[in-house]
Amino acid sequence: MTLRLGRHTFTDDATLMMAIVNRTPDSFYDQGATWAEDKAFERVALVVEQGAEIVDIGGIKAAPGVEISEAEEKARVVDFVARVRAAYPSLVISVDTWRASVGAAVCAAGADVLNDAWGGADPELVDAAAEGGAAIICTHTGGVTPRTRPYRIEYDDVVAAAIDDTLAYAARAEAAGVPRESVVIDPAHDFGKNTFHSLELTRRLGEMVATGYPVLVSLSNKDFVGETLDLPVGSRLSGTLAATAVCALAGARIYRVHEVVETRQTVDMVWSIAGRRLPRRAIRGLQ
Amino acid sequence: MTRVVLVPGVLALLPAYASLEDPVAELRAACLSAVSWLARDVQVLGNPRVAAHLLDATHRAGDEPSYLVVGNGSATRTEKAPGHLDERSHAFDAALGAALSSSDASWPSFGLGKDLLASLDGIDRLRELLPPAYESVVDYDDDPYGVQYWVMRWSW
Repeated sequence: MTLRLGRHTFTDDATLMMAIVNRTPDSFYDQGATWAEDKAFERVALVVEQGAEIVDIGGIKAAPGVEISEAEEKARVVDFVARVRAAYPSLVISVDTWRASVGAAVCAAGADVLNDAWGGADPELVDAAAEGGAAIICTHTGGVTPRTRPYRIEYDDVVAAAIDDTLAYAARAEAAGVPRESVVIDPAHDFGKNTFHSLELTRRLGEMVATGYPVLVSLSNKDFVGETLDLPVGSRLSGTLAATAVCALAGARIYRVHEVVETRQTVDMVWSIAGRRLPRRAIRGLQ
Repeated sequence: MTRVVLVPGVLALLPAYASLEDPVAELRAACLSAVSWLARDVQVLGNPRVAAHLLDATHRAGDEPSYLVVGNGSATRTEKAPGHLDERSHAFDAALGAALSSSDASWPSFGLGKDLLASLDGIDRLRELLPPAYESVVDYDDDPYGVQYWVMRWSW
């Protein structure tokens, strides 16, 4: 089935790089490097040049911290979305938000995707996506409150829980009027999960792919990589790419990333190993 | 009128070895154009796989006797060539190219050609097929990967 992300469509075999663009002063990886609007805009230009098909603009860091009001979140992202829309008509613009009012505002400003990293915490977000003609990312968080860390959460079967919850979310989105071709599911590594959960979701990602919905994975530099390898933020690229390769082999379609070039190379390589992509240019032994 | 086409036995021409960017795009275009010039029924001399693909990929008409010859020069023209560099390859290929182009030139030693990894089985049969006096039309003459390729056509 064709994947439709707002104004843009992609074929069944396409893999997509979703580059993270933080309009925050305190996100874990960049520590506010793109907090200033012009810095964030420079980041957009960079990732577009690197080949990202999607930018995921966020105005609130995922971790606990100072409460950011709806008005403040809108101030951080809405005009910025409009600026990116005007500058890059062919770029897919995603906004990382759980709030329906923010979702509606960014759709009006030109967003194509609402990336609900908090698993439907605001039940009206699906209406904002439907009314705004946007795609929606349905994530699994185990029902936690936005911006909280997991604490002694256990699952009988974390993969089954992720599938059940994301499919239920997908059904709500479709009932609200979001077309099936615009619904993406995301197991949400580390959200409402400990490292063992995230490793198991990675290992069994094929079960999510088998649902038929396109799967997004957000692995980049996360704590499950850091804990597995005992490495701090900033030293997790190899681990991130290893997890990326496993998810690519299972058939994940969208990769939410900090490092676009390295992830694109990893996914292309694995996609070709899997027989889903031709080599770029093969002549060795075939002359 | 008899029609004959020579193409190299390049495996990269086969769909099974396709890339996102065709490494032999110019050669492929020359091959397809030349093979299209042949008649409907074609006798193949040399590597049958490459020939079968080119014949499948072209629409041809007419009933003239037609031959598709698969063969090429040496594979030792550069250090990165499949057979590494053999200094004798350039003179050999020049002589072979001249002999293919015109009956005025004499054929080089096919024994040396084997040492230079030239693919000569089809060309050997072509040599027997050609009339006493002939000239070819050269559609392609290059060695992009250290292997000498020609696309040539003859008619008589």
